[in-house]
Amino acid sequence: MKKRILSVLLTAAMSVSLMAGCGSNNAGGEAPASAPTSGGTESAQEESTSGAATESAAPAQAENLTGVDAIIAEAEGMTLDELAAKAIEESNSQTFYGIGNSSRGKTALPLFISYLQTIDPNYNMEFEWQQPKNNKIFEQLTADSLKDSGTFSMTLIQDGNQIQTKMIDTEILKTFIPKDWADANGTTPDAYEGFLPLQTLNKVFMFNNTGDAKFTNCWDFVYDGQHPLYMDIDSELVGKNFLYMLTEDKYADMLKEAYDALDDEKKAYFDPIVAELQTDASDFGLGENGAYALAWIKLWVENYNAQTDDGPICNTLVDASATDQSALIVYSKLRSVEESATVSVNNVTVAAYQDDYVGIGGYGYNHYLFLTKNSPLPWTACAFIAYLTCTEDGFSAWGKDMGGYSSNPEVATATETTYQHQKGGYNDAGEDEFPAKDDRGYDWWTTEGELVLEDPQYCADAAFGVGSWIETLTKYADAAAE
Amino acid sequence: MEMTVQKNKKGAILRNQIRTFFAKPQNVILLLFGIVLTFSTIAPIVAIVRDTFSIHPGTIDQHLTGQTTGYSVVNYTDLFTSRMAATNLWKPLLNTVLLSVLTCLISIVYGGLFAFLVTRSNMRFKRYLSAIFIFPYIMPQWTLAVVWQHMFNSNAVTGTADGLLTALFAVHMPKWFVLGLFPSAMVLGLHYAPFSYILIGGIFKNMDANLEEAATILDTPKWKIMFRITLPMVKPAILSTILLVFGSAMGSYPVPHYLNLTTLSTKYISMNSKYTGEASILAIIMMVFGVLILGLNQSSLMGRANYTTVTGKSGQLSKINLGRAGKWVIGVIYIILTFFTSIWPILLFALETFLPNPGDYSFLYTHDLSNLTTKWWITNENITENGMYGQQGILYNPTIWHAFRGTLFLAIMCALIAGTIGTLIGYAVSKNRRSRWANYVNNIAFLPYLMPSLAVGAAFFILFSNRYVNLFNTYTLLIIAGVVKYIPFASRNSLNSMLQLSNEIEEAAIIQDIPWIKRMTKIIIPIQKSSIISGFTLPFMTCLRELSLFLLLCTQGFILSTTLDYFDEMGLYAFSSAINLILIMTILIFNTIVNILTGASLDSGIGG
Repeated sequence: MKKRILSVLLTAAMSVSLMAGCGSNNAGGEAPASAPTSGGTESAQEESTSGAATESAAPAQAENLTGVDAIIAEAEGMTLDELAAKAIEESNSQTFYGIGNSSRGKTALPLFISYLQTIDPNYNMEFEWQQPKNNKIFEQLTADSLKDSGTFSMTLIQDGNQIQTKMIDTEILKTFIPKDWADANGTTPDAYEGFLPLQTLNKVFMFNNTGDAKFTNCWDFVYDGQHPLYMDIDSELVGKNFLYMLTEDKYADMLKEAYDALDDEKKAYFDPIVAELQTDASDFGLGENGAYALAWIKLWVENYNAQTDDGPICNTLVDASATDQSALIVYSKLRSVEESATVSVNNVTVAAYQDDYVGIGGYGYNHYLFLTKNSPLPWTACAFIAYLTCTEDGFSAWGKDMGGYSSNPEVATATETTYQHQKGGYNDAGEDEFPAKDDRGYDWWTTEGELVLEDPQYCADAAFGVGSWIETLTKYADAAAE
Repeated sequence: MEMTVQKNKKGAILRNQIRTFFAKPQNVILLLFGIVLTFSTIAPIVAIVRDTFSIHPGTIDQHLTGQTTGYSVVNYTDLFTSRMAATNLWKPLLNTVLLSVLTCLISIVYGGLFAFLVTRSNMRFKRYLSAIFIFPYIMPQWTLAVVWQHMFNSNAVTGTADGLLTALFAVHMPKWFVLGLFPSAMVLGLHYAPFSYILIGGIFKNMDANLEEAATILDTPKWKIMFRITLPMVKPAILSTILLVFGSAMGSYPVPHYLNLTTLSTKYISMNSKYTGEASILAIIMMVFGVLILGLNQSSLMGRANYTTVTGKSGQLSKINLGRAGKWVIGVIYIILTFFTSIWPILLFALETFLPNPGDYSFLYTHDLSNLTTKWWITNENITENGMYGQQGILYNPTIWHAFRGTLFLAIMCALIAGTIGTLIGYAVSKNRRSRWANYVNNIAFLPYLMPSLAVGAAFFILFSNRYVNLFNTYTLLIIAGVVKYIPFASRNSLNSMLQLSNEIEEAAIIQDIPWIKRMTKIIIPIQKSSIISGFTLPFMTCLRELSLFLLLCTQGFILSTTLDYFDEMGLYAFSSAINLILIMTILIFNTIVNILTGASLDSGIGG
């Protein structure tokens, strides 16, 4: 009988939900914004920072805008100091809530408050910075967007693909382009199309050099018997975006060039796989070298050794016992290695730093800044975003580490001057003690280093084409556990 | 006129019935909590069922329907019929069932055998072993998984740095031993073995030895006594262990996650971004298992008479003589075993906090103590990189101590609320044993425990993330989820103990017109103090190190378990090990305080 009661209750619950299914709309269900267009390509820096185009093809007239949109339109014409005055007026004695994929937002907020206090010594603001895990940031922002006035004023968020489809197409997040940032990049807020990046981070190919293994070509990482360490692509989705991006013509061409540089023995290993994937490449509408991209992706997915995070991977790779292991990890992790009897940064080589290395050197993805559509403190959010992107102090929470490059060329230059990342491996005596830590900088990585750069719109388009194909591949971790 | 009188009579009778009904506190309790628990259990289920039909922007359902909002059954058709069905559903489901079954098996064999030796033999070191045996349950389950990795990983087999066994003795364990089903089941089995020890030990301790003695007198072989008499008598306890462990193992996320086993829980997390609705279906499948297990539980309740029989004390304790050497040898074997399951992890945790890099045991290979450091404890700034990923030392780390305070608050609140509600429900159900409503309340209170924690967490997240209420990352949400999930600890303890109480005791007080509150506080609770306190301490202890339930409900620095998981995932094992030590110390201190104040402890009444 008790079972019957429970069954009835569960059935009723299912029925209620089914009846609810007859409804036609939900709270977040406004029509998507206008169709996106492609990102800008004026310069290397701008190209990397453009992201997907998100605004209307024709800029909206400021006088027709309301709420946060109107404030953003007005704020885009103001300098940082002017925005700071507005922020002081708005948020003195208030609590500011931010949310982001990077914990450094928590470090940057006190610096921002100190900056505002240089203008008004009586100013004060409480703050809370949340860093959800397991992709929950998107669900949290979605849930918060349903309220008239949200909890979060702004966000610092990664994964262009999900941002595009879950946050921009649904108008949950709003892009604000600071005037000073646009000036520094030789553009204007109106002319700039795309998300506002705080920085580009790079994941680079490295290997443990205590053995004999050679990695002088990006195809070496997927050659017979290799199992590079990598964060699981279902755990960190920007890792999946990297694979999507490889199918873009530019990067597929890079892979083909690298393939051409291989010796015949290695080519013979890869040839059947490339041939097998020609049809798939054609079905996905990829360019002439698309099959090479698919072959690399297939071999990578079927062979990478999944780990929980880049931290443990770095800990493994720098250990002398990890002979001949390789990895694709966030470059900046090398900063936290403490030298000991068996652990050393010198146990690893950054693949792209080798003179004879050919092919892609790693992957670059962005941290983007947005206001929420129902931001409770929009002026303060605008000022904070401008502070992060337009001042060295604002960026210092990230800038003090190697492997993260400000999207503002002036800030990037100032940061390099202060922290000397290009000589990050030099000791006090001026000797290059740890060459792997000599960060060659954004310009080098995006040219000679052949860094694959994330394009949110391309990733969003590929997610259910190439993306679904990737999901049909058997991951090394799954095969190993069977 | 007559009609009016009759109506008045009926009305008066009804009023009287209502008055009589409410005059009994147990009826009020059952009515109140029946309604509240129905909502708190069913509403999250409804929310998650609804989510399986919703279209989520940027996910597979939008791609397949071409719509950004509305409802569809496409998540069901895609999950069950697409070419990904084997990868996304059937294989994880099979792994989950295998993991749960193996976990039950390991915990019952290891914990049950230990319970038998402690209660029914003359094995030595019982008091020490009894206390130490429950340690793996105190520790967060995945920390044993991390220890497993540190011990058995090797470059040759797992493609990582060498673990301790390889580094020190050049031993390479095979892949099946290091990754996948076997280590996951072992770790979870060891974690839940104290469960079977406590449950089965309780029966062994109180078991009437007359039947075994009669069989012995009749010259029945020992194996036959074991299989025909002893084991059938502890069957209810074994079944109880299966009920509790199966659901817990099924909902475990971190252990299979760390040890590379794809289960429904790990699949739920990995699918949640792109296949949100389909992930919710996985959560529902886990819940269905919970309901099925509840059905099993019904059968075990039907057999309650068995409990009554075995709990009657004969006044005789028949203990197997292991022999002069045997009692020492077996005791030493268990000391060694529990050293590796209980002491060794703690030593490793402590050691880890002094290593220069996570997992860097240079000092062991070089015999040079200068390869140890105190930086993880005493660094009080985060400006110098110092190999600490921008974190301050443990003693000064605001994230850790904020999370510690939050966890204590959460655990105390959950223990107090769940303990109180559970005790009242147990009391009320025992008073109205034959009432269908009482049985319904009893079952609905127990159901959340049988549902996998991750699924319950997911359901609460969806329920409380909407236009009207958004409780993500608040103690309110964590307390609600914790209370609903942990009421069964208290209600079961309370019910079992109340059933042992004769009604005459309370009736005598009722005759003397003693108010209900006084009857409870002066008579009933003092008599069953030990069981009732367990109903408070178990939620407290479980809550302190719960991850799967709270994983989706708060950010990483909010409570200690999510902070610990964050540091573990980041590879900052010094911090996660320190948090482990803090948790273990906290639980031991609280357990000792409760023991001193009340005489009750987790393993009380079994060991020693």
